[in-house]
Amino acid sequence: MGLIWRAWMRDWRRRPLQRVLTLLGVVIAVAVVLAVDLANQSAQRAFDRSMETVAGTATHQVLGPPEGFAEALYAELRSAGQRETAPVVEGAARLEDGRSIYLLGVDPFAEGPFRGAASDIGAAPVQRLLTEPGTVLPPRQWFAEQDAADGDRIELQAAGGRHAVRVLEADGAGEDDGRVWVTDIATAQVLLGRDGRLDRIDLRLEDAEAQRAMERALEQAAGTAGVNPEELEIVESGARDQASRELARAFRINLTAMSLLALLIAAFLVYNTQTFAVLRRRELLSSLRLLGAGRGRVVAVVLLEAALVGLIGTLLGALAGIALAQALVAQVAQTVTDHFFAAAVTQVTPRPLALLAVLPVGVGVALLAALAPALEAARHAGPSGQGAGAGEARARRRANRLAVTSLGLLVAGAGVLVTGVAGLPGAFFGLFLLIAGFVLLLPRVLGWTLRGLAALSAGRSLPRIGLRSLERSLSRSGPAASALTLALAATIAVSVMVGSFRGSVEQWLGQALTSDLYVTPVAPAAARDAARLPQDWAGPLLSESGADSLSTGTTVETGSDAGRVELFVVRPHPDWLEHLPLLEVDGPRDGLADRMAAGDAVLVTEPFAAHHDLQAGDDLELAVPGGRRTFTVAGVYRDYATPQGRVMIPHGAYARDGPAPEGVGSFGLVLPPDVDPEAAVERLEAWLAQRDPAAIVTRPAELEQESMAIFDRTFAVTHLLRIITLVVAFIAILGALMALQMERAREFATLRSLGLEPRGVHGLVLLQGGVLGLFAVLAAIPAGLGMGWILIEVINRQAFGWGMDLRWPGREVAGTVAVGLVAALLASLWPAWRMARMRLLPALREVT
Amino acid sequence: MSSSSPAAVAPSQDPVLDVAALTFAYPGAPETAVLRGVNLTLAPGERVAIVGESGSGKSTLLHLAAGLERPGGGEVRLAGTSLGGLDEAGRTRLRRRVAGIVFQSFHLIPTLDARENVMLALELAGLPDDVAGRRARVAERRRRADAALAAVGLEGLGGRLPEALSGGEQQRVAIARALVHQPALILADEPTGNLDSVTGESVFSLLLEQVATHDSALLLVTHSAELAGRLDRIHTMHDGLLREG
Repeated sequence: MGLIWRAWMRDWRRRPLQRVLTLLGVVIAVAVVLAVDLANQSAQRAFDRSMETVAGTATHQVLGPPEGFAEALYAELRSAGQRETAPVVEGAARLEDGRSIYLLGVDPFAEGPFRGAASDIGAAPVQRLLTEPGTVLPPRQWFAEQDAADGDRIELQAAGGRHAVRVLEADGAGEDDGRVWVTDIATAQVLLGRDGRLDRIDLRLEDAEAQRAMERALEQAAGTAGVNPEELEIVESGARDQASRELARAFRINLTAMSLLALLIAAFLVYNTQTFAVLRRRELLSSLRLLGAGRGRVVAVVLLEAALVGLIGTLLGALAGIALAQALVAQVAQTVTDHFFAAAVTQVTPRPLALLAVLPVGVGVALLAALAPALEAARHAGPSGQGAGAGEARARRRANRLAVTSLGLLVAGAGVLVTGVAGLPGAFFGLFLLIAGFVLLLPRVLGWTLRGLAALSAGRSLPRIGLRSLERSLSRSGPAASALTLALAATIAVSVMVGSFRGSVEQWLGQALTSDLYVTPVAPAAARDAARLPQDWAGPLLSESGADSLSTGTTVETGSDAGRVELFVVRPHPDWLEHLPLLEVDGPRDGLADRMAAGDAVLVTEPFAAHHDLQAGDDLELAVPGGRRTFTVAGVYRDYATPQGRVMIPHGAYARDGPAPEGVGSFGLVLPPDVDPEAAVERLEAWLAQRDPAAIVTRPAELEQESMAIFDRTFAVTHLLRIITLVVAFIAILGALMALQMERAREFATLRSLGLEPRGVHGLVLLQGGVLGLFAVLAAIPAGLGMGWILIEVINRQAFGWGMDLRWPGREVAGTVAVGLVAALLASLWPAWRMARMRLLPALREVT
Repeated sequence: MSSSSPAAVAPSQDPVLDVAALTFAYPGAPETAVLRGVNLTLAPGERVAIVGESGSGKSTLLHLAAGLERPGGGEVRLAGTSLGGLDEAGRTRLRRRVAGIVFQSFHLIPTLDARENVMLALELAGLPDDVAGRRARVAERRRRADAALAAVGLEGLGGRLPEALSGGEQQRVAIARALVHQPALILADEPTGNLDSVTGESVFSLLLEQVATHDSALLLVTHSAELAGRLDRIHTMHDGLLREG
């Protein structure tokens, strides 16, 4: 093997550029997969840490109505002997610099086994938290970032208004969450406006018996504490953030699927460059075989080289992946934060296991992609002409067999998608089956197309030569066209999906934002739901603005027979139902307003209906003030406000038997035509400047702008993957054309000797690249639109429950078509230049 | 055959090929000269054979005469035009107008059938140039190609791809392709080298006949003294030097 290996590997020194191309394929594949994995893992860790900090090691939680329950309930439970309990008051707050934080009010004495953040107070002056009102314990990293010191005073804006607090610095080191600030119960109650009330009680229940005992104790304690036991429920800790977890997981699966697509396209690149590498050394292979080297040995030497390429590529790819992950993690974390209020994460910590796991990916891709060229190389017994011809005949037969296989894959993929087995991963699997089927069918379709075009070009010898040459070299042209098609189809599919989503969100915002002006608390989007404005601002706002109609919307969390749900309590404008994008209505639409006014019906958003398997007409039991009541789901409406979905309930229905929610999430004002909106804004701003808490007046356009910015941030990561995919496809087509031209060098030399000028050679190679590009583009358009439709109708519905109107993004598709053609032509330039300036004598003598 | 050859062309006519003090070395081995000052002149219609051992430089001389490679030194004039003053495209244009090449291994375009291979030479040369309209030109090319194939005994085989033809048939197609545009010079590099003796003899006779019919000059590179003996002049190449006889 020694001398054979040495002879084989000398090519590395002679043609370093080609090795770089092969390595690039592996590097890109490994980098993308690793980067997405690292970014996902880092965001996941931050998410888990955030959830863990908030929920701690509690197994269950006692939850009550949205406004909380009397703290006496906790005291009663403790005195009844339930010691494994800890009270919590929690909510969003805002720092002076505008950043949102999560305030967690705990009882340090009761915390003990529950929470890392609180029990890790360690040497921190616990007594000061308890004895000095208005002290909080920020995360350790905050002190370093802000250059702050123990005892500094800062201002916090929360549901209870604006308050000055003093910060305490905990000793010691350790991982802590960047957004969770701990304080004691009393301070949290003041800051969050929860005077005398708790949001939840954390429990540690070891078994069902303990749970039953707790249920009994809770009922008794509720009676003693004057709390309606019907408003209380014991839920498992994980269940509460299950929806968020599911959505974060769906987001990660989406990303992973895109990285696997990039991997698949990179595999084409490696295949092309490896084929090219084998072709280059055809003469050496023939000599080795003639000297008696067995097929096994030839296969071994090619695969060994591929393994080496895989290993080096993986190492370089790992470095590139870590760098890429740093760029991705901020995007992913921001998205998770925008939608799920998770913790900030800016650091990627490569775990040895993740790095190790990527090794089989890199080496595996290199080996798998090299297998076909290796077998092809082993078949070369003599001069290449015959071998190549026989190889192409085999390639054509293989294309026929693959076409049959592809039909099977297409049917299987469609079956998986239609039946919806295995949820989101199953949907992706179905999509991949369809993609694989389509890709395997392409070489056969390309063969037919080229044959048809060649027939059409009768009388034009040069185009005919170019087209037939592509058809005869299907093993080169097929994978190149497939790679480019796949890349373009993926780009078009993402454009369709993002374009449709964006269009639908824009349309929805236009429908949902029915007021001319909004008055909202000063808070970042993620914390806005928890922020409140005083109810009694309604009258002054109407008179100051001159509005003729005022609406309110307030988000509260409550229990239901579908678990914890988000309620959107509204006092709408009179004509609100005309603007609501209803997808389903129980009964006639005309009677909907009356049913809603009667107080026994609610509306649910599309994602909510999807997550909880609800339809119009179904019943939903909700914990509202005064106890649990059953409501009819009168309709399902389109809403992109929260991926978890929510229930819209009229204010009157919500507060029929109990208190209304404290405060208002936002006010909406409809101005009569004769009121100048700008003047109204000025008056309102002047009035608000004198008020506390801070609030701002926003126009629908501004809200729309902010929402679209969040939207664009969410999908920014797809642009990056799209670019990588196109670069890979470009290199793949370049490699394929190089291989093709090399195989046909003798033909080109003959044409040149017969009188074809160098520019004619340029034209011929560009024609071949152009035809491959055009074919890929034409195949990619239906494939991309189909994939886009599946992403919208199957994947997105499975992942997020969002429906959207399909929009054909003509401009994006045209752009992608142009990019594909330009990429193919650009990829043809180098082979064209090389072929045109090729020395004729060596090429003509090649086999003589 | 010799009686019909135009060997007795008036010496005052300009030579179709004029090679003077030609030198050449391959780029990878500049110190090893393949040609070391070769002189050769072919008058119109004259038939000259070059013989010599393998590696003596005879094929290289033929390729340089066709302008397929730039000489290291000296001059090659094809139909009165010096190749040295032409760029790659200029040499190509001159070659396709003046010369036709027949290779040892045929070099047919595998993706074109026999007729199309012959038509290709016409298409590249821009012939016919006196017929208006693309369809009419294509039809005329087809007619000429069929006639050329019929002249080499391949009537009715025009629709076959090279892989469906025997070696002898392929070389006949190559001869038809080389002559269809009626070049002044045919350059033939071991045209029977890949054929058995019977087929080789038949193909060679056909080549001479066609050259005579088209009144073309012929420069033939061959190992065979017998074939060379049937031409007007014989030159021997040895160590990059050419001498008559």
